[in-house]
Amino acid sequence: MPSGFRKTLKALDWFGRTVENALLVVLFVFIMLLPIWQIADRELPSISAIIFWPLYKALGSPLGVEELIRLIVFWLAMIAAIAAARDDRHIRIDALSHVLPERAVDVTRVLVDVFAAVVCGVVAWFAYQYVKAESGWGTEVLANTVLSTPAWVAHAILPIAFVLISYRFLILAITKLYEMFRREPVEAAE
Amino acid sequence: MIAISVILILLAILGAPLFAIIATSAMIGTANSDMPLTLMVLDVLRLADMQFLSAIPLFTFAGYLLSESNAPKRLVRMTNAILGWMPGGLAIVCIAACAFFTAFTGASGVTIIALGAILYPALKQDGYGDKFNLGLVTSSGSLGLLFAPSLPLILYGVVAEVSIDDLFLAGIFPGLIMLMMLSGWSLWANRENRKTLNAFSFRELGGALREAIWELPLPFVVLGGIYSGFLAVSEAAAITALYVLIVEVLIMREIRIAELPRILRASMVLVGGILVILAVSIASTSYMINADVPQKLLDFIAGFVSNQTTFLILLLVFLLILGAILDIFSAIVLVVPLILPIAAGYDVHPVHLGIVFLAAMQLGYLTPPVGLNLFIASYRFEKPIMHVYSATFPFLIILLLSVLIITFWPQLSLWLLE
Repeated sequence: MPSGFRKTLKALDWFGRTVENALLVVLFVFIMLLPIWQIADRELPSISAIIFWPLYKALGSPLGVEELIRLIVFWLAMIAAIAAARDDRHIRIDALSHVLPERAVDVTRVLVDVFAAVVCGVVAWFAYQYVKAESGWGTEVLANTVLSTPAWVAHAILPIAFVLISYRFLILAITKLYEMFRREPVEAAE
Repeated sequence: MIAISVILILLAILGAPLFAIIATSAMIGTANSDMPLTLMVLDVLRLADMQFLSAIPLFTFAGYLLSESNAPKRLVRMTNAILGWMPGGLAIVCIAACAFFTAFTGASGVTIIALGAILYPALKQDGYGDKFNLGLVTSSGSLGLLFAPSLPLILYGVVAEVSIDDLFLAGIFPGLIMLMMLSGWSLWANRENRKTLNAFSFRELGGALREAIWELPLPFVVLGGIYSGFLAVSEAAAITALYVLIVEVLIMREIRIAELPRILRASMVLVGGILVILAVSIASTSYMINADVPQKLLDFIAGFVSNQTTFLILLLVFLLILGAILDIFSAIVLVVPLILPIAAGYDVHPVHLGIVFLAAMQLGYLTPPVGLNLFIASYRFEKPIMHVYSATFPFLIILLLSVLIITFWPQLSLWLLE
């Protein structure tokens, strides 16, 4: 790999990782605090009014917050799936890596990662088609609340996530191929 | 169609990410039944409609935080103060502490790393044989799966649409049976070395309790809140996450704020891996239900299985094989929707089915070729994998016996529900 290309990849990786972490933190804080707001509003309304005043100001009341939490969990799951692809931590049946010789394991990894990249690309394409169609339907999520949003915006994370996951699997496969031909890890070649 | 299935299974065994395999089969299934593939997207989006799903990331993060703090040490000290006076006490301490910890960390292998590192050398120092220690620590690593608020229990509740509160109650006695049988075996195996660890001391107990004062309320918040009907599961999960965050970061100051994004990422990566499989499984399941697969399977099985007992035997054999190949999370989302209607055909209560499912899958952590605990222990304690396996084997047999009891004694699971 030419060093300029490698540098660009590294910079991209740092940027992507930082964005993922920031989004994970923000989304997680919301799914942690919104239910606590609900409990506080139900059990101790006077104290809740003081502690959670920004939420009352922004959202009115915790009624209907369940749907918001579910949507945030969906986004969290998708971004976490992108992060899992970057960290190469997607769940696999790990039966052969302990049995096959190293070289064969490498070859199969390249093969299955290219397969995964293609599948994710196809899913992303159909998700994009769906979201595009949905943008014409005028459906809304969180309807009748201050946060009401066109449904396609809330669902747009699906094609985006699968494109990025596809890209990560491709990078994993390319990196592995490169290592196989150089017979040394990329890091050590710095 | 058969050729495609064979290729997909082959790709899965070669190590393709499971969600990609499931997505492919869902897409092929949808296309074969002449439906537009965008329909599959609609199914995947149903992930955004699932109840109580937020409990999964919240409890997972709380578990990761606990395992990164000194909570494992405090837990061992406290268990030791309570149980250490018994003959063979340390082995029982190990079993109880691991079970408690796994319930909170969700059986992702964290227990062996967090607690095994403390217990394994302690057992050795106390004169237990090396092989016994290795087997005990390895098999304890997934113990506690049946206790609230373990991740597999919640996931089963979400997938099977069974009350998670009921599952939390149902797991108590089957979980205790497992603990008692393993403890019994540990006492028997070390009958030559039955010295007590230490005499019971109120002082030590007081000290241990004081040290763990901040973590002690946790089980009460979770279980008390849920069982009293005061909190929904997802609310209890939010409180647990916030509480653990405040205790370990602000009060005990064992985790620096700067470390939080790394820990959150590590825990969410696990959650993302599970939930993306869940999302594509909804699509593959809905295709299979449209194609009437569960009914066809039931008709097929009904051809040679006439009563509940035979069905349960068949189910157990199937689950033991499944557990040896698939991890517990994928197995739940993939298989539960298919066997639920079949089990109902044989009058198996869905809650009991869940307990049997998880108990049997727990053995999968200890069986080759994929047993996660075997590999983690082998890596962590630097022992060859076959050595770990043979050390774990007696424990595996004991656990298998307990799974048989749990399966054929449904009242054990259902007693608290009535």
